[in-house]
Amino acid sequence: MASVPDIFAVAQTEFDRAMRRNLKGLDYFATSGPKLGASPKDVLIDRGTMRLYHYRARVDDVYRVPVLLVMATTNRGYIFDMIPGQSMVEYLLLAGFDVFMLDWEAPRADEKRLTIDSYVLDFLPQAVARVAAETGEPDVSIVGYCFGGVLSLLWAALHPTPLANLATFTTPVDFSAMDMFQSWADRRFFDVDKLVDTFGNCPGDYLYTAFDMLRPGARVAGNVRLIDNLHDDEFVKSFRMFDRWSTDILPLAGEYFRETVKQLMWDNRLLDGSMTIGDRVIDLKHITAPFLHVAAEHDHIVPTAASAPLLSMVGSDDKEEVVLKGGHVSLVAGANAVRRMWPKLAQWLSVRST
Amino acid sequence: MLRSMTTTDPAALFRTMLGEWEKMTNSVGGDMLKSEEWARTMHGASAATTNAQAAMKTFMERSLAAANMPSRTEFENLSARIGGIEDSLARIEALLGAGKTRPPGSSKPTRKRTPPEGKA
Repeated sequence: MASVPDIFAVAQTEFDRAMRRNLKGLDYFATSGPKLGASPKDVLIDRGTMRLYHYRARVDDVYRVPVLLVMATTNRGYIFDMIPGQSMVEYLLLAGFDVFMLDWEAPRADEKRLTIDSYVLDFLPQAVARVAAETGEPDVSIVGYCFGGVLSLLWAALHPTPLANLATFTTPVDFSAMDMFQSWADRRFFDVDKLVDTFGNCPGDYLYTAFDMLRPGARVAGNVRLIDNLHDDEFVKSFRMFDRWSTDILPLAGEYFRETVKQLMWDNRLLDGSMTIGDRVIDLKHITAPFLHVAAEHDHIVPTAASAPLLSMVGSDDKEEVVLKGGHVSLVAGANAVRRMWPKLAQWLSVRST
Repeated sequence: MLRSMTTTDPAALFRTMLGEWEKMTNSVGGDMLKSEEWARTMHGASAATTNAQAAMKTFMERSLAAANMPSRTEFENLSARIGGIEDSLARIEALLGAGKTRPPGSSKPTRKRTPPEGKA
């Protein structure tokens, strides 16, 4: 049991916090938060929904093989480049890599016709070709995050030649293990054709709600924690960064969304080996480059069970899976990422990038 | 939880309770949201919205056609054609400008870096 002076000390601390909370609370609403994704870069391709960035090197001598980050189509790529000191891009640049990123903007209304083929047979090959033209190197290391990882796998299975290394983060291959999404995409109730035929592209709000409902208590608890910690500048900065990113959900091109639901969520065709891209059957055994998969122990979006078969499906001899503490987002941008994932990735790539 | 319950700090107790509430809500709410009943209800509501949207779309298309105005679909087709032209320009630009995006005054890094000792 605490003594009387302890109670006074606690009361004093809480009073101080309350005062600072009020003062900083005003500041919170008067400012717009840290600038995200600000590492200096050049835009190499600006084509409809597709963006290819080249980050400016921070060292005079880089590894021979360039690194191309492939972002998930639902989210913005600045999760890889939050702020100085909390940026995977900056970390890789300082570790001596030449870094590119394939990122996405919201698809235009006419881009509702884009399919999975468009991403795998057009956008990704164009990005890889441009990286080769920019660097003069024939091969490239690909790092895909979430569905960016799925696209990277599909591309790599069809284009083994220019691939030096492939790393994927929290990348699902067994879509039947994504319980919550399976329930919502239940073919008995979910009329994906009507949704796409009516809206054209799948609205971002629809996807935002789906992601938000994976953890129904998280948003309320997060906002209460924000009020509780308004006195703490670091907490507020971190909250704003991640809150902005997690609410910045992109719409998905209509046909692409329709195919994703039917081929992957309903029929699980990547896992059963019947998925086709451009009339060619996808067999991940064709991927023979060194392969690394990083999963998050507490991933609520892509549970570890959804990515568990991946390692055995890939044909590489040099392959490794690492399961790290953290969730879907903190794996790539949280404190654990800074301490564990980024050093692991940089080390894994460095010995395979000369 | 037990450790917090023995403290006299009400703020610490509140924070612990908030964490517990969040876990419970995620667990119970998650189970409910995974249920067949929820999926049916949610998609029923979504279908109603989608139907209303589809009816509005048809109505607007007819109204625009009657007023001799271009429809959304026609604008989308036009946008797709502009997109095609942009793509062609991007290809030409890539052919002309590959490797020339570097800002003036900066030089290309060499590509001979080797991993630090002991990392191989």
